[in-house]
Amino acid sequence: MAELEEELKSQIIESLNLEDIEIGDIETDAPLFGAGLGLDSIDALELIVMLEKFHGIKIDDPSQGKDIFESIKTMAEFIRAQKA
Amino acid sequence: MKVYINGIGNISPQETWDNTKFLKEVVSSDDNRLLCVEPVYKEYISPIKLRRMSKIIKRGIASALIALKDANVENPGAIITGTGWGCWADTEKFLLTMIEQGEEQLTPTAFMQSTHNTVSGQIAISIKCHNYNSTYAHRGVSFERSLQDGMMLCLEGNKNVLVGGFDECTDNFFTMLGRVGAWKKKTINSLDLFNDSQEGSIGGEASIAFIIDSNKTDNSYASIDAMTTFYKPDSDEQVNEKVNEFLSSYNLSPSDIDVVVSGNNGDSKSDAIYNVVLQEFPEATHTGFKHLCGQFDTSTAFGTWLAAKMLKTQSIPSVVKLNDVNKVPSKVLVVNHQNKENYSLQLLSKC
Repeated sequence: MAELEEELKSQIIESLNLEDIEIGDIETDAPLFGAGLGLDSIDALELIVMLEKFHGIKIDDPSQGKDIFESIKTMAEFIRAQKA
Repeated sequence: MKVYINGIGNISPQETWDNTKFLKEVVSSDDNRLLCVEPVYKEYISPIKLRRMSKIIKRGIASALIALKDANVENPGAIITGTGWGCWADTEKFLLTMIEQGEEQLTPTAFMQSTHNTVSGQIAISIKCHNYNSTYAHRGVSFERSLQDGMMLCLEGNKNVLVGGFDECTDNFFTMLGRVGAWKKKTINSLDLFNDSQEGSIGGEASIAFIIDSNKTDNSYASIDAMTTFYKPDSDEQVNEKVNEFLSSYNLSPSDIDVVVSGNNGDSKSDAIYNVVLQEFPEATHTGFKHLCGQFDTSTAFGTWLAAKMLKTQSIPSVVKLNDVNKVPSKVLVVNHQNKENYSLQLLSKC
């Protein structure tokens, strides 16, 4: 079950060019924005593209973004729900 | 319209970002391209911001911050940059991704950062500067246009204006310009640039920022007394006429000039004009600089840097000398042209 979470961490590091961050540094439950990784609105756009590119999922309703990208855990749950 | 250069930040193929050094150790290249020697950017920009920046943005911000610190200025009265080609690496990245991914799933960062005014904007954001902000993309006189605008702003009473020039030479850019004959066919060592008889030059890049102001400070490098540009003169003789007109309008003659900084780029098609101009200055030390930074649209900024450093240190590094005349620099004329179209003249003095 944790495979998807690890995959997402790796994709985020690559997509957002987080040079000094390793997979082990990202906590699955930690917030991605503000505290935690400290991502911003441009990163949110990059994450939307990342979901489409690597997982084939388009986010049609932008207001969903806040909940989907809260953490690695919420992203993984969203992907699983979409693929179920 | 006299202004003083009160701070400098220069990230170039030489180790010029350290203002305490002046071409003591020279970097050369054997592949017809001189690329920037990068400082440690984490010393200037936070890692969280750095991760998104391409090299030219890092260089632009770092050179601006070095210049501001050098001038002991926190917030400039204006930020004005010049660039021939803008943020080329980001442009390439965005366009290549469009092709590779069939115009689908395009990421925003490279697109947002591909515009010519990105560097000016990013400098302003990084230091929270809400003052006048502009970028000139005028081919071979892009830096000169930013300098001209900055000088006029100083004349109107603005303080501590940041002006600068930046361009980058990516792999694709170098290849494309090579196809239209911009570079030499056979590779040479960059330090042999002025002795090579082939057509074409060598590629280069830099990001150079100056803090200029109407008032002199303890850190002033030099004054820029005048600057002018002209386009496509009819003949080599007309270039000399323009140079003489420029000097005489400031009550100077060629014999008043101690050092001429000429923009020779080793291209046998277009360097002859420099020889015609230099013949008018037999009593001056002749210097060149493009064997140290390469040819790019804003390379004149490196010539301005060289003139300012020579005037401040009262020395002329042997690596830039083109003749055997030894003068102590007091008045320096910078002469540059690009493709015999865009010409510029700058007059700098010791202060």
